[in-house]
Parts: sequence; structure tokens; C-alpha cells
Amino acid sequence: MSDEVILAGIGEVARVHLGWEGIVTPELRLIEDLRLDSIRLLTLAAEVENRFRVLLDEGDEAGIETVGDLVAVVRGKLDA
Amino acid sequence: MPETPDMPETSEGILDWLEQAGRRPEGGLRFIDRAEKATWFGWAEVRARALAACGGLQALGVERGDRVALVFPTGIDFFTAFFGALLAGAVPVPLYPPARLGRTEEYLRRTARMLERSGARLVLAESRVCRKLGGAVEPALGCRALTDLPLGTARPVQAFPADLALIQFSSGTTVDPKPVALSHRAVAAQAEILASFWPDTTELRQSCVSWLPLYHDMGLIGCVFPALARDAGLTLFAPELFVARPALWLRTLSRYRATISPAPNFAYSLCLTRISDAEMEGVDLSGWQTALNGAESISPAVLRAFCNRFASWGFRPEAMTPVYGLSEAALAVTFSDLGQPFQVTRFDREELAREGRARASAEGREIVSVGRPVPGFRLRIVDSGGHDLPAGAVGRVWIQGPSLMEGYLGDPEGTERALRDGWLDTGDLGFLHDGELYLAGRAKDAVILRGRNHAPEEIERAVDEVSGLRAGSVVAVSWLPEDAPGEVLALFVEATREATPEELAALPDACREAVLGATGLAVDRLEVLTPGALPRTSSGKLRRGETLRLYLAGELALLEPAASLLMGALA
Repeated sequence: MSDEVILAGIGEVARVHLGWEGIVTPELRLIEDLRLDSIRLLTLAAEVENRFRVLLDEGDEAGIETVGDLVAVVRGKLDA
Repeated sequence: MPETPDMPETSEGILDWLEQAGRRPEGGLRFIDRAEKATWFGWAEVRARALAACGGLQALGVERGDRVALVFPTGIDFFTAFFGALLAGAVPVPLYPPARLGRTEEYLRRTARMLERSGARLVLAESRVCRKLGGAVEPALGCRALTDLPLGTARPVQAFPADLALIQFSSGTTVDPKPVALSHRAVAAQAEILASFWPDTTELRQSCVSWLPLYHDMGLIGCVFPALARDAGLTLFAPELFVARPALWLRTLSRYRATISPAPNFAYSLCLTRISDAEMEGVDLSGWQTALNGAESISPAVLRAFCNRFASWGFRPEAMTPVYGLSEAALAVTFSDLGQPFQVTRFDREELAREGRARASAEGREIVSVGRPVPGFRLRIVDSGGHDLPAGAVGRVWIQGPSLMEGYLGDPEGTERALRDGWLDTGDLGFLHDGELYLAGRAKDAVILRGRNHAPEEIERAVDEVSGLRAGSVVAVSWLPEDAPGEVLALFVEATREATPEELAALPDACREAVLGATGLAVDRLEVLTPGALPRTSSGKLRRGETLRLYLAGELALLEPAASLLMGALA
């Protein structure tokens, strides 16, 4: 699965489950730019797992700050 | 003064119950994972595991009265560690595990502060959490996984009723964490009160489903201990699973024919917005007898909408039970009548806001009744001098009962402010109407969102570095606006006289980002004020309650340009 497809999937999650109306780009920071509070961060993590059928653990999640970071982690999981 | 008959005094405690439990086949803990698969542990198995942990803790040097912090997700390990520590005579301090995608530094800082305040000698956690905590915290006996405990023979320690049984934080914060110390007597008394609401009959064995965090009083004291006292079954799953998939709650209730389940207002609201009809396929909620609703302000609109929406799946409106409680009372203080429709009354807005008097009025503002004192509890509504007020007058809610805290650990001044002559000043404002308690705001400075308390100072400090703000001139408050689905968080900031138009324009976004980053909380309303607009005491301390009152009355001096810019951004 290409980064573009993963990014589009995350964009879809943001639109459907987080009410995000803009375009989702890799540079966007989850907290500051997407304005996700702790409950919505949780929702994002769970919905991304559901969509791509992967399980993220705390090690994977530790360095995630931007949408691009999340794309990279999901890709890593899918490739593994 | 509303009063209900006393509960009989008991000398039994949670450890006695743990020893006696496991006699009934349906008594025990069932954990549900994200695939809705169940794992079952009878109470006897829970105790056997706890005894092994007790032996390990004692071999490690844990002694009677030592505080042991527990950082576990919902699962059997939490209970092994919790009851293991209790059996060793230690005092468990449940803390919350790291949140998903959250800020690690923030989490570590907060946890370190809570550990320090609790005086924990040991942290028990999953090994991945231990690795994360390593370095940030250094308790005397370290941070260990259950599997890293030495082997040892358990020598269970007899707990006395006055011994501490538990320390729970009423709010998790870096600024002023409040460790609430509860005795075995208090915890057992609260568990018995709660258990008394769910009498078993030959036809019906009551059982509970909960996804509430185990470091939260409503999850641990509200669900686990009453189940243990009654040797009943309890079905648990993790709070993060609920948030990700709220339908899991209702599906689990239906699947296990559970009769009781508690949650804060926000959870009922989340069910309305995040559950699709498709997910409710085959769900039957007709067995849900008691849907407790507490731990934060209750929205009448959410109550009604939940009852209407889920009636199609058998939910009975009389199951919805608004309640009131707080950590300092171990949990429950008042309950609405079980099996009766919840009570919502309208009160004249003007009189309530201006004169602090509640007069029923057909056109007034709706407030949800939280019922009457639970058995053994008494309550008073008093003025700021501690004098009783007549029915209908808004005042501070003072309570007395068998499960009040011993105090805030290591904070005699704070304890003295809260506990006076055997009465606990809840810091909540309320009034009595037809013998029932209605809440009408807070005298204490607390922001309560989604069932969790936050210190306003922590939210206010988050914006310290934002440019264009007057240092120390920020107020954070939360309240329940009429017709809102839950409490909203507002931040009032004073701009400096020197702030440039660019700085003013950037202020709202900069403040929101700073608060989200530091606390994980989204600011619902942000108001930029003219310098000096915030009300202060004669000694210069910010008056948060008064700020909110002025704002709601339209008397707070908003800085127009910034306010209109903000409105532009929202439009």
C-alpha cells in the first residue's frame, strides 16, 4: 500500500470520525493542527487500526506527532 | 435536613470479601477485548494470583502501610497487583496508564508528580510502561512488572478498619494533585451502600458491566467492590475501547444480560453521536435496570435523547438514574429513586442567577435532580459561614456519612478546609427542592470534563508562554450551558496593552494549541479581555467563579477587535 493510499485513508478517518473538513496533509500535527484532544486522539488511533487492520503499540506511537509520522508507522506495520 | 436510615455497621472489609468470594459460579471478573472475546477469572482465581503477588511484594520488602502505585490498563494484572498490595498490608495508589498518541513528556511529568505526592515506595506496571517511566520516577523499591517480583511465601496482613485501603487522585495534574486517602472502613461502607441498591432475588442475579477506568472512583469503588461484596459477576473492558467503539458498551450489556452499568454524562452523549443503527443489530437493552449517570454535570437534553434513541432496542427510561458523588466521599452521596423516571425541574433563571433562589417556573431553566442521600449519608445546604439555608436557597453542599475520606494525604491545610466537624464541604453549590438535591455550579475551582476533574491552574499555566498575554491573568472555568450536551471549557485571557494587532489576531489559536498540547483538552470558548478585566480578590488572586458569573451576565469587558477576529475564524 502506497503512502498516498494510507494518507487518503487517514484523511477519510479524520473526515468521518473527527469531523475534519480540510485537506489532510503529511505536515499537519495531530494535536496543534488537527486540534485533537485526548479523546479524539484515541478515536484516531482506534479508527486507523480498524481501517488498515493493524495494531499499534506504545513503542510505535511514541514518536508520532504529525500525520506523516502516522502514515510511516502504518506503512511499517503493513510491510512487516 | 434530608436523611435516610443508617446502614448497619459492619466490620467486614474488602479482604474478607475476597477471601469469601468465589463460592458462586457466576462470581468473578470477565474481561472483554477489542474483538469482543471474553476471558473469565473467578474470584478464587483472582485471590490466588493476588496471594502470589503478595508473597513477591513481601519478599521485595514491601511493608504494612507502604504506598504502592499501580499503572495498569484494564485487565487481570491490575487486580493481581491491587489485591496483592492490599494483602501485603500496603496501600494501592492506582494511576492512569499512558494515553494513546498523547504527549509522553506531559504524561511523565504528571505521573512523577502524583508519585511524589503519594509517597509511593514502589511502582507496579507493565514492563513497557516501566521502561517509559524509568528515569522519570525513582521510588525506593523501583518500578517493576509483576513478572519481575521475587518469589516469596505470602503472609497476608490483617487490615484494621482504620488502616488506609486506597489512595485515589481526585484530579490528575502537575499543579496540585489531591491524593484522597480512604480507610478500609470507608471503602467497605461505600461498597455496602452501593451493593444494597442491587438486591438479588431468586429470579434475578444482578450484574454489572463497566468500561470505566480502574483508577477512577466510579470504576473501582463503584463497580468492583460492590461486585466483590455480593460475590457477583462483573464484566469489564478498557475505557479506550469504549471511546473508540461506544457500541461495545451496549452490546456487552445485552450479551451478558447485565442489570447495572454506570457512566458519566459524556458517555451517554457519545453513544448518541457515535453509534450507528447497524452496530445495534440484535442488541436488547430491556434487561438494563439501572443506568447510573454521575461524575459530572448532567445534561437534561442528553438524558432525553438517549432514552428516545435507545428505546427502540428496549432501553427503559426509568433505568436512567442521575446520581451525585465525589472522590472525597469514596463515591456516592445521592441517588435518584431506582426504577422511577428521572426528575427534571425548571427554575426561574433570573432568581437563580441573581439571588441564588430556586423557584420552580414553567419557563425556567432545566436542572436534573440527583436524588436523595444514600443510606447513612446526610446533607446540608449552608452559606459561606456554615449556617443552614432554607430549602430552595442555593448554597454549599456539605455532607456527612460513613465513607468520607481520612483527608488529603500530606496536606493537613487542604484537609482542614474540606473536613469540618465531621462534615465534608464538597465545594459544590446546590439546593434542595422537594427533598431532592439539584446542583447549581461550583464554589471550588475545578474544571470537570468527561467525568474527570482538572485543576484550572494547569490549564491556565499552559498559556504562560503565549505572547501578547498579561502574565498570570488567565482564568479557566467549565460549566454546563443550557441545552449543551455537556460542560464546556472556557478560557479568559487578558491581552497586554502593548499587544500588536498581529499578536491579538494570533492569540486565540496560540492559546488553544498551548492548552491542547499541555493538557489534551480542547478549549470550547476563548475570550480575550481588556487588561485588568478579570475580577480579583483584595490580595490579587483571580476569582474564577466570579469571572464566570460576570461573563454569563454579559458584564465582562471583552476586547472587541480580538473577539470579532475570533468570531470570523469560527464563522
